[in-house]
Parts: sequence; structure tokens; C-alpha cells
Amino acid sequence: MEVIASDSEVVLGQCWRDLAEITASGIDRVILYGPPGTGKTYAALRFGITTDVVERLICTEDVTSAEVTGSWCPAGADAWEWLEGPAIRAWRGDGIRGGRLVVDEVDRASGDVLSLLLAMTDTDDSARWKNPQSREVVRPAPGYSVVMTTNLEELEELPPALRDRFPVAIRIDQPHPSAVRSLSPDLRRAALNGSLGEPSRRISLRTFYAFDRLRRSTNAQRAASLLFDSAEATAFLDALSIGALG
Amino acid sequence: MSSSIIFPELVVGREDEYSDGSWRVLEGFARRGEASCDFRRRELRVPLGSTPLDRIVRAHELVHVRISPHDASPSEIYPELPARVLQCAEEFRVNEMLRRLGFDVSILRDGSEKFGASQLAMNSDWEEAVYFFLAVLGTGGEKEFLSGLRPLQPDWVKALRTLKGKVNALVGDFTTSRLGATSRGEFELPLGYVNVSVDVARLAMIASSARVPNDQAGHRLFRRSLEIGARRPATGHFAELHFDSTLEYHVIARRRLHRVRRGAPTGTSLRYPSRLLTDPQRRAFARHQYVAGGIVIVDQSGSMAIDEEVLDQMLYDVPGVLVVGYSHRPGDRTGVANAWVLADRGRRTRTAPSGNVGNGVDGPILRWAIHQRRGSERVLWVTDGQVTDSNDHPDDALTMECAHLVRRGSIELVATVNEASKNLSNRHASRRSDLSKFGRVGRELLRNRHVTGSR
Repeated sequence: MEVIASDSEVVLGQCWRDLAEITASGIDRVILYGPPGTGKTYAALRFGITTDVVERLICTEDVTSAEVTGSWCPAGADAWEWLEGPAIRAWRGDGIRGGRLVVDEVDRASGDVLSLLLAMTDTDDSARWKNPQSREVVRPAPGYSVVMTTNLEELEELPPALRDRFPVAIRIDQPHPSAVRSLSPDLRRAALNGSLGEPSRRISLRTFYAFDRLRRSTNAQRAASLLFDSAEATAFLDALSIGALG
Repeated sequence: MSSSIIFPELVVGREDEYSDGSWRVLEGFARRGEASCDFRRRELRVPLGSTPLDRIVRAHELVHVRISPHDASPSEIYPELPARVLQCAEEFRVNEMLRRLGFDVSILRDGSEKFGASQLAMNSDWEEAVYFFLAVLGTGGEKEFLSGLRPLQPDWVKALRTLKGKVNALVGDFTTSRLGATSRGEFELPLGYVNVSVDVARLAMIASSARVPNDQAGHRLFRRSLEIGARRPATGHFAELHFDSTLEYHVIARRRLHRVRRGAPTGTSLRYPSRLLTDPQRRAFARHQYVAGGIVIVDQSGSMAIDEEVLDQMLYDVPGVLVVGYSHRPGDRTGVANAWVLADRGRRTRTAPSGNVGNGVDGPILRWAIHQRRGSERVLWVTDGQVTDSNDHPDDALTMECAHLVRRGSIELVATVNEASKNLSNRHASRRSDLSKFGRVGRELLRNRHVTGSR
């Protein structure tokens, strides 16, 4: 296994190696799914990008198509201007190379948005969009990529047509080692594994960070008791103590 | 109760490439055998209750996750150590680790220890008692276990305390991190396992194979036998007989019988004229007769050796003979061959195996030979008269057992293969041996004069 940081003594999980291989091979439509708190969005915003243009769309049921492709906005007296949304900005990129569109929590998107995303994530040859103001036909610039993230465990819940646009889906079940660098060394490996268990046993990276901060100001027992119920706190500390052999 | 009261995924730190991944947690119980850690399936069976005992049992299984071998089968790597002793030695290491990590192992007992111990004492199962003792050593179950043994087998308790002292001394030399080290050691096993569990298992093996001491001197010898490099203790029993099945044979004679002269009342060759006066049947003439070979048992222990030329000569003179050699490797329990058929009624091994230092199987080989006898075939035992147990200690009871077999089976004692050869090829050679030359067995036979065969 590849050791990524000798000080943290952690290794790169298989999911991250898969992602590295896929982005290196030029695949530009990827779904990252799996338990929360593992750094899917972090990875989508940073890994494999070709320009500085990285646009993020956080889906909720209230997000409308205007927040995908753009909307008319007042531009002074009696004037309206079309403001392009994140998807179009990512298509354009820096003008030479396309940017990255990150669609977060895609499973929560409304039907309209999902339909629009079909167009925005289509292959570069097929994708087209006409600016209602300038009538310009916009196409994705070369290098445009899309990463969708979701906490779903089964991707069958996504619309088949949308799913079909993403040939690769990677289950991210461990945080990226770089995400635990700020933790105390004794917690890093445990924090990487915290998301591996069954849903009822998962402990997110955020909880580890909170535990780390709390125990610095109090002690481990107190920190655990503030974050978990009594039985969980004992079990959490037992596991850490056994892992560290002391 | 939720399984969120155990977090096996957070038990990290192994150095032997155990891949991270999800564990399946199943509900078990805080009873012996009802909590487990299965590395292959990544399954933990643990009690999910909220009692202190439930917590300790869960912690015990988590320590297995942290330090136990996960990708090798120690019992295949150490065939001389039974799987049971390796398992119990590992239980001891895990409990010792728990203790050092501050868990209260005094509550680690399930109430079955006392009853289990009394059953073992009743069945005189010393071996299992030693193994079980390891599994409860240092925990709350230890005292219960010993109290179950004491009424029926008080000597066992003293011997087990001696073993406890040795085991604690051994493990006391290890820091906590060395005790639980998971970097790869011998045979790719975790270093802590190799350095502690395997050595503890070896100690327990030695103790379990020993005859339980019942006096001061016996205890002293028992304690000494548990020292590093010490001689193994007396076991008081023979080893199991294991024949070498890999030997190759070639035919040395088509005939299975050999010719001997025998007296007859009629004939053409007056060979024994004196019998005309002394034999009521007046068998003064010689007549040739073909007879079967006989059976020769050869003690090939350190003090004895087999001369192949003499063996060849015997096979030339008595081709139908069945010759079997034996010698046990002291302490061996892996099934190393300790008996081999050197010649089998007309066939001979290409090479005669050399001995394994000890005797160890005198009784079983005598029984085997008696069972092989055809009709009134003679059975000769080439021996120095020493009988030893499976650890090569002389033993009075085993000597008496062999003397009894010699008497019951009319076995003749001879000192050398050459002598056996002469005895078999010459019907008139004396069957009487000077028993005083045959060590303990000889003395035992002399003590009981009503012997048959050897007088």
C-alpha cells in the first residue's frame, strides 16, 4: 500500500486510489457516494481539476433550474441581465479549458433540476445551451468535468438516464488521509476508519475533530461524555485505548 | 441494545497489513465459547448488554482484533503444539493485555469454571486441565477453576501454581507493546504471538505431558522441567506408535520358510546318537524341515544400533523373518515415525532408518509384535532392558508392563541382532537368556520367576 504521510502513519484507502486512477485516465463524469463525513465534496472540489473554475451546486428540493443554468436579474432601470448559473460557468471554464461542476447531494434535487442536469452532464459533443440574452450557443469547453456526490448507499435510486451519464461511481467509505492531518496523530487512523462500520456505528470525521479539541481543554473521558451517550462513550474510549495498546 | 456500544473499526494500529474494513457485530453472550472474533468473515460475536462483564468480554474480543493472528493458522505452523493449547495460550495473552490496559479482569468469569474443573478432575484429564488453566489464568475464573480441582486432585493445584509462576515470569519480561506486537515475526505471525503465546503454549505442553507430581521431589523435578532448555518431565506413558509408511522394499527371497534340522525316530543320518539313551522317543536321526521365520523387535534407541550386515546375514539365514525397529523422538507429538518394518517375510527395506534417540514405544511395539505372530512363531526382542516413556524417562510402571508382555507373549530377550539371528537360524540354540543382563526389564522378570519363554 502507498504510504501517504509518514508522520500520520496512515495509508491511502482503496477508494481514493480508485479515484486517483480514474481522474488520471481522463474520465470526466464521476459519482462519489457513501457515508457522510468522508470528504466526498472535499475531493470533488480539489481532485483532478484542470482550471481554477470549480462551481458547486448544492441540491435541495427548493433549488430551481435558475440556480443551475442562470436567471434574469435586474441591471439598472428597465434593464435585465442574464446571470449564468454554476453549470454554464463551469462549461465555460477559463475560456480555454472547461471547469469542474460539483453537484452535491444530487439525490435531493427536484425533478426539474434533475431534468436540467441531464442536459448539463451530457457528453461534451451533445451538450448545448443557448443564452437567452445573447442567443449565444454555449458548449462545454474541453476539459469540463462533473462530479456528483450523494450519501445514498444504492445508486439505483438515481434516475437511470442521469446515472447513465456517469460511467464510474466510487463508494467513498474512508476519509482521505489529507483530511485527518490536523488531528492529533493518535486519532488519525481511527478517524479514517470511523466511517467504515455499520451506519449505527459510524463516527464522522467532524466528531473526531470535536473530540480532539474537547479533550485538549478537558480530558478524554469528559470529551467522550459530551459527544456520546454513556455506553457509546465507554465503547469509543475502549476501542481507542485497545488500538493504541495503552 | 444497539451494536453501537462496540467500535471494532476504531481498533487500529496493526502492523501486519490487516486491511481496514467494516466488521459485522452479532449478538453473543458473556459465556465461554459464546463470544468470538472471526477475522476471515470479519465478524464479532459479543454480548451487547450493559453489565461490566459484557463490557470486558467485548474488550477481550477487541484485543483479539488488535493483536491476534489474522491470516495464518498457527496450528499448521506449529504441528507439535495442539490447536487447543495454542488457543488457550492466546487467550492468556489477550487477558494479560486487557489487564495491562487497565480493564478489571477479575470479573472475567462465567461461573462455569468450577464445575468444568471438577469434571476434568473427575475424568483425570490433566492435559485439558492445563490448557483450561491457561485460558483463565489471571482472570476471576482462575480461583474458581482451582477450587473445582482441589477436592479431587490437590496435586494438580500445586503443579498448576508452579506453571503459573513460570508463565508469569515469561510474560513479565515483555513490555505491553512487545506483548501485543503485530509486526511480522516467525512464519509471518505477529511478533507478540510468536514470542509470548507460542512460548507459553510450549510451557503448557511440557506441563500437560508430565506426570502430575505428588511429592516434594516430584514437584522439584516438575518445576525444573519447566525451565528453558530443561529436560522434559517424565510422562509415565508410552507414545503412540507411528510406523514409517515411506520406506521402499525389495524382494530378497521367494521362499518364506527356512530349513532346519529336527530330530526324528527314523531316517538315514544318525546325528544325535545320544538320544537313543536319553530321549524316550529315541529321536536320534536328523530330518530337514522348513519352518517360518519368527519376529525380531529391535530397540534402535541411542544405546542400541542396528548393523546392516548382521541384518543381511539374518535375512539370508532366516528369510521369512519379520524384523521391526523402533525408537521414539522424546517429546514428539507430531507423528514422527517411531517404528519401521525392516524386513517383512522375504522383503527388505533398501535402507534401515536410524533411531530417534529414545525408546518411548516399547510397550506398544511388543503388543504389535504379539499381534503379528503366526502360530507358534518365536518373538525375539533385541533390547538393553531399558524401558522409557514418551519423554525418554525410565519408568517402573512401564517396565512392569513390558515385563508382563514378555511373560505373556513368551518373548525371548536377546542383546544383539546377531544373537537374534543365531537363535532363529539354529533351533537348538538356547532360549534361555541371562536376565541380569537386561537392565530393569531383566530385573523385573527375575523378580517374578514364573516366566514363560525367557527364564
